[in-house]
Amino acid sequence: MADLMSNSVSALLAFQRAIAVTGHNIANVNTPGYSRQRAEFISRGGQPSGDGYVGDGVRIATVRRLYDDLVAAQVRTTASSYRNLEIFASYAERLSNLLGDTDTGLTATLQKFVNAVHGVADAPTSIPARQVLLSEAESLRDRLQYMDARLRDLETQIESRIRSEATEITAIAKSIAQLNREIEAESVRTGQPPNDLLDQRDRLIDELSERLNVTVVPSGRAMVSVFVGTGQPLVLGAEAATLSTRPDVFDRTRSIMVIETENGASDITHALTGGSLGGLLAFRSELLDPARNAIGRIAVALTEVVNEQHRAGMDLTGALGGDFFGIGSVEVLARASNTGSASVTVTRSDISALTEHDYILRRTATGWDLRRADTGEAIALTGAGTAADPFVAEGLSIVVGGTAAAGDEFLIRPTRDAVRGFEVLIQNPEQIAAAAPIRTTADPGNLGTGTISAGVVTDRNHPQLLAPVTIEFLSPTTYSINGSGSYTYTPGAPIEVNGWRVEISGAPETGDRFTVGSNANGAGDNRNALLLADALRGPVLNGGTTSLDSAATRLTGNVATATRQAQAGRDAQKIVHDDNLATRDSLSGVNLDEEAANLLRFQQAYQAAAQMIQVASTLFDALLAATRR
Amino acid sequence: MRISTYAMHQTALETLLRQQSTLSRTQEQIATGKRLLSPADDPAAAVHIAELERALAESAQFARNSDMAEARLSLTETALANAGETLQRVRELVVQANTGTMDDDSRALIASEVKELLNELLDIANRKDANGEYLFAGYSTLNQPFVRTAAGIAYVGDQGVRMLQIGPAMRVPDGQSGQRVFVDVPAGNGSFVTAANPGNTGSGVIDAGVIADRTAWVPGDYTLRFTSPTTWEVVDAASTVVASGTYTSGAAIEFNGARVTVTGAPEAGDAFTISRAGSKDMFSMVEDVLAALQAPIDTPADRAQVTTRLGAALTQIDKAIDHLLAVRGEVGSRLSSIERAADARADLDLQITQSLSELRDLDYAEAVSRMNRQLVGLEAAQLSYVRISQLSLFDYL
Repeated sequence: MADLMSNSVSALLAFQRAIAVTGHNIANVNTPGYSRQRAEFISRGGQPSGDGYVGDGVRIATVRRLYDDLVAAQVRTTASSYRNLEIFASYAERLSNLLGDTDTGLTATLQKFVNAVHGVADAPTSIPARQVLLSEAESLRDRLQYMDARLRDLETQIESRIRSEATEITAIAKSIAQLNREIEAESVRTGQPPNDLLDQRDRLIDELSERLNVTVVPSGRAMVSVFVGTGQPLVLGAEAATLSTRPDVFDRTRSIMVIETENGASDITHALTGGSLGGLLAFRSELLDPARNAIGRIAVALTEVVNEQHRAGMDLTGALGGDFFGIGSVEVLARASNTGSASVTVTRSDISALTEHDYILRRTATGWDLRRADTGEAIALTGAGTAADPFVAEGLSIVVGGTAAAGDEFLIRPTRDAVRGFEVLIQNPEQIAAAAPIRTTADPGNLGTGTISAGVVTDRNHPQLLAPVTIEFLSPTTYSINGSGSYTYTPGAPIEVNGWRVEISGAPETGDRFTVGSNANGAGDNRNALLLADALRGPVLNGGTTSLDSAATRLTGNVATATRQAQAGRDAQKIVHDDNLATRDSLSGVNLDEEAANLLRFQQAYQAAAQMIQVASTLFDALLAATRR
Repeated sequence: MRISTYAMHQTALETLLRQQSTLSRTQEQIATGKRLLSPADDPAAAVHIAELERALAESAQFARNSDMAEARLSLTETALANAGETLQRVRELVVQANTGTMDDDSRALIASEVKELLNELLDIANRKDANGEYLFAGYSTLNQPFVRTAAGIAYVGDQGVRMLQIGPAMRVPDGQSGQRVFVDVPAGNGSFVTAANPGNTGSGVIDAGVIADRTAWVPGDYTLRFTSPTTWEVVDAASTVVASGTYTSGAAIEFNGARVTVTGAPEAGDAFTISRAGSKDMFSMVEDVLAALQAPIDTPADRAQVTTRLGAALTQIDKAIDHLLAVRGEVGSRLSSIERAADARADLDLQITQSLSELRDLDYAEAVSRMNRQLVGLEAAQLSYVRISQLSLFDYL
């Protein structure tokens, strides 16, 4: 009888627990990261009797958390990749929309500028047409600077997000270490798993994996260690490291990621992958920096092309053209820890060889060594690095002054900051050099059929460029220049004097004269404007294979393609991730219908167990009644 | 598979959100009429669109350049036609004046009209276009190209010809320099110029002459001298006699491939120069006419002088009229090449616009039917979500 009673009581207690567990499950149906729990019944061992073993009821062995480490690890991996691509794609979309707007994009603005040059060519004396060219130059400047400013905004945003990510990651790591401690203590104290603490910890690790790739390794009795990057410990049992940002050794305005442990700090910027942090770092180095360099390079090439041609022209006042645009110089950043006194000056010497990369110039024991900043690829240097014979590589001239210590490094950014210094230097419409500086004349008294070409300036710096020159034919086959010399005449062959080149063709006669001289008053001349329009459309970049607007469309295309890839990757990863989540939820998630059924089941069992007490009591009463007589 | 309640709601919600976002995308496409909302939607198309739009913008500029060139060339053509008419009138007056019966008063009357015509010609040569630029000044379009000087009307412009870009690889001159139009007119008959020596005492008149045999013609300066009223000789610049003969009034005198005719009665010692033709400007031609008309005629020798000069002027003016026609022909051919370029441009623009439309513009029929499909999908998802989410075993407890 007592057996029956204790049997029933054990059942009552067990089902009460089970109902409590079910209630806990129902209560946490909406708790993120909660894994459903199950009371594990186990029958109490029976007492031996002559009739065999009679069972002694039920007890709850443990409250088990339905959770699979393997599935959880998969969820984390895909969460990491998904978040990585999501962040990358969201920033890439912004960049791509910024660059790709067909109405305000670089290509459209450049073409408007070229059109305005044609406008001046159509009516070189028209001040309004010249004014339009200046306004278009200004909109080009505004457009470039707007783009550059937006890119710098993005950089600032990313910079501050990186910092806050680092703070959050450190906070999460500290919480994980704290939970590790508590879980270990609880497990030791009760011998039972502290399910809800485990859930909390797993949830935190999930959060961490959304921010960066992590590797989780069990340690101790119930603790876990978390590793990031290429195996740097973020959490080691009860100890957490700090992930923080430090200013870059070259550019103090941008951050690198540093992990600080007892053993000191180490730079893990390039080792961090996955998650939102990985996405931010990847976007910065793979899209943002190259885009800024590319826009800078377009601005540099534009400036160079326009200035070069503009200086070869003559303006309305009869003066030779000046620089049309101004541009920011090459950025050279010395490493903070340099010990030598060397200074490095870099200028752009060849636009067609200029690249979109950054470089690191390093002092070795024997000389200097130039490498690409991103890939570390070695770049051959020619020259001696002196002002007279500078190092020349990748379209740059590098002059090194002072004394460098071995190991000193300089970061060279050829075009990154160029746009910030981009400006329109011509203020007065009359200063636009639409005319060629020279003009040619055939003497009206010429008897032969010789004609002279309009002439081309080959060296605008020639001091005698504008000096009048007379070419007189001494005979139908020889001519003199300014009354001296006797040169053989070949029809159509170039005649080069004083920095210009003309061709005379036809059959001149003895005494025929042709003059070349300054084009002052040549207000209606548009030759230089036409050359300028041609130059703007010409292939000037990448060794003379890429024009300015193909460079602009190429940039838009590259960013758009990268965005597209990231979007496609994100969508694919989303599906995989959702799949993994479904797998996890099918094991760990709470289903209310299931819990309702369990509730019914346990309630009925509980009622049955209560009934058993009634039975025991009736039996007992029967026995008492029997013995009372 | 077992499904958790939370995941069921979450999945349903995400599906709804996703459907809403595709629907809003379709709606945006319909609202903007654009197929691509971001370059990332189709990077290759986005790049192509940018290139095509650039080509269209460039083509529009070429069209503006063409309009500009066309306007100036039309002005040039009108000016050339006006100049031709003026010269034609001068020619008529010369013919009128060159009849033997003209008295001095009538010649003075004609001279005053020629003077007016000269002014008219000068006006035409100094015409401006709508921008206030001189049409015939070469590059020096802000300076008046033809000015009166002590030595007559001089050209102070240059020989530049402005080119305008009317196609990717096509440029046309938008005018002609004053030099080319008004100054570089072949003098005389194009090969040589004949003139009577001012000191001639006889009444011999020389015509403008022709080249009889182009291959035998030796360019150079010659003098036709009458050694007696009936004999002549032609000497070259080195005073070497290259031909000689007996004079008959109106008979051809030939030497070195050239043929001239003298009529009247030259005296011994009279001479005519036959000099190499360079070029002559139209103003000096008219001024020559003026001078000849104003010269007094007292003797037969004077009359012979005037007749020779007017005859030479007539040949000269004919040359000038021909020259103007030739220049007008050039201008006309430029105008027609502008027109051809415009046709080619229109074809190309049409192609570009079509490609652009295919790449950029939305197919409305497709988009609207897509939107309907998406709407149906979203409604079904909402409805089924509401139904399913109402199901709970707890309702039956």
